Amino acid sequence: MLVMGIESSAHTFGVGIVRNGRILANEKSMYRIGTTGMIPAKVAQFHSENASEVMGRALSAAKIGFEDLDGIGYTMGPGMGHCLQVGALSAKTVARMLRIPIAPVNHAVGHIEIVRHLSGMKDPLALYVSGGNSQILKRSDGHFPHYRVLGETFDIGVGNMLDTFARKMKLDPAWGSSVEKKAMGGRYMKMPYTVKGMDFSFTGLLTHSMKQIGHAKDSDICFSLQETAFSMLCEATERALLLTNSKELEVCGGVAQNSRLREMLASIAKEHGARFGSVEKQYDADNGAMIAVVAERMLKKGMDESIGNCGISQRYRADSARLAGA
Amino acid sequence: MRIIAEGAEAQVFKAVLLGDTVIVKTRKAKGYRIKAIDDDIRASRTRIEARVMERAHSSGIMVPRLIAVDSFSIYMGLVDGKLMKDARIRKDSYGRLGRILGIMHNADIVHGDFTPANIMVAKDGLYVIDFGLSGISKSHEEKALDVLLMKRSLGESQYRWFIDGYTHSGRESKAIMGRLAEIELRGRYQVRTLG
Repeated sequence: MLVMGIESSAHTFGVGIVRNGRILANEKSMYRIGTTGMIPAKVAQFHSENASEVMGRALSAAKIGFEDLDGIGYTMGPGMGHCLQVGALSAKTVARMLRIPIAPVNHAVGHIEIVRHLSGMKDPLALYVSGGNSQILKRSDGHFPHYRVLGETFDIGVGNMLDTFARKMKLDPAWGSSVEKKAMGGRYMKMPYTVKGMDFSFTGLLTHSMKQIGHAKDSDICFSLQETAFSMLCEATERALLLTNSKELEVCGGVAQNSRLREMLASIAKEHGARFGSVEKQYDADNGAMIAVVAERMLKKGMDESIGNCGISQRYRADSARLAGA
Repeated sequence: MRIIAEGAEAQVFKAVLLGDTVIVKTRKAKGYRIKAIDDDIRASRTRIEARVMERAHSSGIMVPRLIAVDSFSIYMGLVDGKLMKDARIRKDSYGRLGRILGIMHNADIVHGDFTPANIMVAKDGLYVIDFGLSGISKSHEEKALDVLLMKRSLGESQYRWFIDGYTHSGRESKAIMGRLAEIELRGRYQVRTLG
């Protein structure tokens, strides 16, 4: 089966193409975040302007034409409404034009599944860390097959925290990755550390570290912020790993690109005899390939949706998405 | 010295101190985080844990007897029983558990990890153990999170019995349950579909 996946939940308009699980193309264009952060309508406008160009790039990378597609998938949510609409509309147009089946995909499931798929894991515990989300999940076959949320942030996602802080410190680019660079050689200063069982919260840490700007060395604040936030995530993840007795651990989502976080998680996995899985950075950041991978599985299981029912859901939780199985 | 439990955070073992068998809980060093954070977290949690255990004891909650405390370890008396998650328990125990949480909250004790894995069923009743993530707080939010954690671990009817007990003893249980409903309705717990 040859399937295209479209991702547009936040800053990235991504188009991926897979054939029987093999990724043939993963193209994207990314909205440049200035000092203002993301204004949904502006990001959506950016996506509208770039949608057809990115789709064209993906098709030529995969050396196919639109008419070769057997199906299409798009991100239904969670994400920003304006942005999701662009991806949904593009996918619906293609589906109607080509009369091919369409599958609405959960964004979080996409992130988890692409790492699981590429690292060849069976049933991993997943730490999903991105701008909007931070959750610890494990597959459960209770009422229906889904990813059960074992722990999550009580307020904002860790990526959102790092990005907000980066903008406040006027780092360039105003991204979490600038915090990672700036943290090099920093020294630790005490920061608030909030973990409740397998849940955590980041706003206290964000407020505290923003207040330190100008009163301490930038590198010290960045180092302490990053170390504290990741230690919190790791503590909760380790607890979940022991509770579920998992022998596989994966990290996914935009913040999974951070090498310090990967290093910490790998050490936890090693200590408990679990395999640690992470992938090339292009598949951690928002991308179309992850949507294509999940969409292909859904379509093979007959989980397509009529075009009229293909909407978006800004707060579509991972644990309410039905999984298509292996 | 024999290890009897190995948690994510601490090792619990039996030891003999001045001729008595005692339980020692030691917070292990965590290699994944830097030493400054690790030492700080381990020491402050050990200190708070001992303080809260003392407060729980003086509020009439059954907890292991506190014997001694050092930087990363707590020495306490042995409780002869089974963990609630492994024990077969009767319906009324859930109500009693709810009453216990109510009494703790009346004393502004928040447990922080209130699950059946941290309750011991003994001959003389239910013991609350592992105050490792606990604290002293008047916050309805934190108290509601204790209820939420237990809710996630119990079945529907077990939870109803638990709540019966909780609202019976907890002075502010009404407000706290209101806060719990609010927490569950917050943005990320809610699903809203747009056409």
